This record gives sequence, structure tokens and C-alpha cells, in this order.
Amino acid sequence: MTAVLNSQRLVPVGYVGTPRLLRALDLLDPAEHLAAHGPLPVLDRAGLLGLLGAAPLAGRGGAGFPLAAKVRGLRAGPAPVVVVNGAEGEPVSAKDRALLGRAPHLVLDGAQLLAGAVGARSILVAVGDPALAGLLERVLAGRPRVSKLDVEVREVPDRFVTGEARALVSALNGGAALPPGRRVLPTEHGVGGRPTLVCNTETLAQLAVLARIGPAAFAATGTRGEPGTTLLTVTGAVANPGVLEVPLGTRLGDVAAAVGAQPSQAVVIGGYHGMWLRPAPKLELSRAGLARDGGTLGAGVVIFVGERTCPLGELTRVAGWLAGESARQCGPCTFGLPALAGELRRLAGGTPVKRNALRMADLVTGRGACAHPDGAARFIRSALGQLTEELQLHQAYGSCRRSDLGQLATTRTVW
Amino acid sequence: MAARLQIDWTRCDGHGLCAALLPDSIGRDDWGYPVLDERRLAGEPVAAVKRAVACCPALALRLERVPART
Repeated sequence: MTAVLNSQRLVPVGYVGTPRLLRALDLLDPAEHLAAHGPLPVLDRAGLLGLLGAAPLAGRGGAGFPLAAKVRGLRAGPAPVVVVNGAEGEPVSAKDRALLGRAPHLVLDGAQLLAGAVGARSILVAVGDPALAGLLERVLAGRPRVSKLDVEVREVPDRFVTGEARALVSALNGGAALPPGRRVLPTEHGVGGRPTLVCNTETLAQLAVLARIGPAAFAATGTRGEPGTTLLTVTGAVANPGVLEVPLGTRLGDVAAAVGAQPSQAVVIGGYHGMWLRPAPKLELSRAGLARDGGTLGAGVVIFVGERTCPLGELTRVAGWLAGESARQCGPCTFGLPALAGELRRLAGGTPVKRNALRMADLVTGRGACAHPDGAARFIRSALGQLTEELQLHQAYGSCRRSDLGQLATTRTVW
Repeated sequence: MAARLQIDWTRCDGHGLCAALLPDSIGRDDWGYPVLDERRLAGEPVAAVKRAVACCPALALRLERVPART
């Protein structure tokens, strides 16, 4: 066996509690990986659904849709396809590339187990980063083949909307990486018209852990409704940015301590489709905990907005970026997001147009083929709700005398 | 009406015929795209809604059956 060299930049990782996904890293030789994690069980459909019934596994791509419901929703008939969604389009998020780059066999184990349980003959691993695609090709070449199961790596455009499941299916079918205008469920008509399970990278790694340790051990950490751990990408005003594995339900204060967060005015949770929240140390990082504050965990991006940056400047720049990421398929998004970004620029300059900005946020919501305008509007609305004093400063003096330090990154973070 | 008017936003170009045909329940936003008033739409005669669907020059409108609540 030839050694697989990892020429990727290694995403820095850390953890709160005991790591599971990030436990044995950089073992690209499948034998070493198996020695660390143990053999991979084989499950049939009933076994898989039983496992997911005992330990519910919510998708980790952002929407949090239960994996069991996805499996049940597969159209009966032709053999399904399993897609590993590693098209991590959120510029700050790095958890999928951390997993695929540093624990690729764990992700492939999950995909293989799922494929076996639903009778899929094909697994497609979709990634936006060419170097990562190259690494995965080499990893696959060294991994023992499973009979009647094809595994292929596919490079897809590296942009925000590509990760949307239907946009990804369209790209894998040779079309544009854009969400279609009509509601088509991948579980009914996906890749090549086959019923398709599109699963986030982390969801599959979690499945590989769950199948090995069993539901009781899996639920030994996390919350009652949301067992297990989750991956967070933590950046902004922090000493040690990176990907953290934490038990679901971990308090924000523990995450802040783990990464050395500076005193912060706000925290952005769930990325640029997520929410601005007060950085309360007791904030519980779980879907249910964040829902209490109207927030969402999304794909696990946590950004500390430090006290020395101009938050309105940060927001305005991200709003412009979100407008630029519109696929320009749908009118309200194409015209509404740039108009909304323009209103934020005027707000930063001191013009009192908050009401019009909120009106435009409402105007784009629910009026597109995908959730991009909705997510962008939610992000901006929540920021305007948090930044009341900041808005008053800008209105009174035309600025807050701080500049935008770029803590909310709008270009791909290089680790 | 046990059907809902659906807009394919990737097709809609904001021609505005639907708003002209159903002025009480379809308005237009700052850029001319339709804004549906779902409550008022539910009170429109089905034939009038079907006419708006048929008249859309971009074929962006569709009447979708809403499954009966049980």
C-alpha cells in the first residue's frame, strides 16, 4: 500500500469534552483508521431505522432535517444514490473540509453504511475545493472496494448556493449549480432521476460513530432531544479560530473560553443565514436552545463580533456579499438584496432608513426558488434588532469611530 | 378554493398581468414582481385565478392542489 500524503492545509481543530469525530485525525491509511475506530458494522434498512429511532440524528448541513425521515422519504423502485454534500459554500465554515481533509474514512464509512442499508450502488462525494477533491481521490484509491458499490469524487462550483441540496443535484446531473424553480425532492428524483439521499459530510461521520458505539453510548453526551456532539467553526475576535467538536447543548461561555474569545458586542450563530444574538455565556448551543432566542444552529458557524470593530460596517459588507451570492434567478432576490444592502450603507452613513430596510427584508422573504433571500433577510433583521445603540451612534455622528475589522469574513478563510 | 397559486420565481419576469387581472389580491413590489395576498386570493373565483395562470407570458404561475386537512 502506498502512503497517501496529506498536502492539504490542516484546519486547526479542538474540542470541549470528549471528541468522537475528531478523535483520531490524519489517518489516511484505511487500516490505521480501522484500528483506531474499530470495524464498520453492516446494517439493513430496518437496522438503520432502528438505530436512528433510538438516537435521532438531525442533518448537520443547516436545516436539521432528521436522517430517518429522509431515508423513509426515498421513492421505492430504482436503486438510490448517496451524495456526500461537502460543497461547503459558507465562506467561514470549515467543518466539512476539516472532516473530509482530516478524517475522510469516517465520512466514507458513514456513506458506505447508508448506501448498504438503502441498497444504493453509487456514492458521489461532492466538494468545491479542487485540492480537497485531489486528496479524496487518493484516499479512495487506497480504500478497499465494496462489491457493487461505486464511489466517485465530483468537483462542483465553490459558491454559496451550490450546497443547497437541489442545486447540488442539478450540478451533479450536468446542469447549473442552481436550485430549480419547481419543488422537486431529491429523495424522489435526484441524481440521474434516481431517488437520492443528499447528506452533509458531518451527518455521515456522525452515523459512522453511532453505528459503531450504539445509541446508548451515543446519547451519553448532548441533550435529551439532541444526543451526541456537533462540529462548530468558531472565528471572529478569538485567539484560536478553528473547528471545535462540542457536546450538543454546550454553553456559549465554554466555547468562548476554548477559543480565547475577546469581549464581544454580539455573536453570529448559524453563519450568514443565521442570527446575531447577545453573547450571553449561558446561551445553549443546540437547535432547541437557540430556537428559544429565535436563532438557529445552522451548519454550526459561531463568530464573535469583538468590541473594537464597527458592527454596522461588518453587517453592511456581509449584506453586499449576500447580494452578490444571489444566483440571479429570481427577481425579488436579484433586485431586493442589493437594494437592502444599499439601505444598510445609508444607515451606516447616518441616514435613518431602518424602517425601509426592514420593509425590504420582509419583501424578499419567501419569494425565491431557494432559501437564500429568506436567510439573508433573517440575518440582517436580527442584526438590526441587536444594534440599536450602534444605529443611534451612526445617526448622531455619521459613524461610531471604529472601522470594519473584517471579523465577519466574506472571503474563504485560509487556515 | 382548495388550490393555491404558486409562482415559479425563476420564470417570473414581473410583467404584471396577474396583478392587472386580480387587482384586489395581487399587488406589485418596488420592482414590479407580484406580491400575493393569500387570504384575499382564497376568496377569488377559481375561474378568475385560472385565467391569470393562463395569461402569464412567462408561464410562471401554477395552481397547486392543497391536500385536504385531516
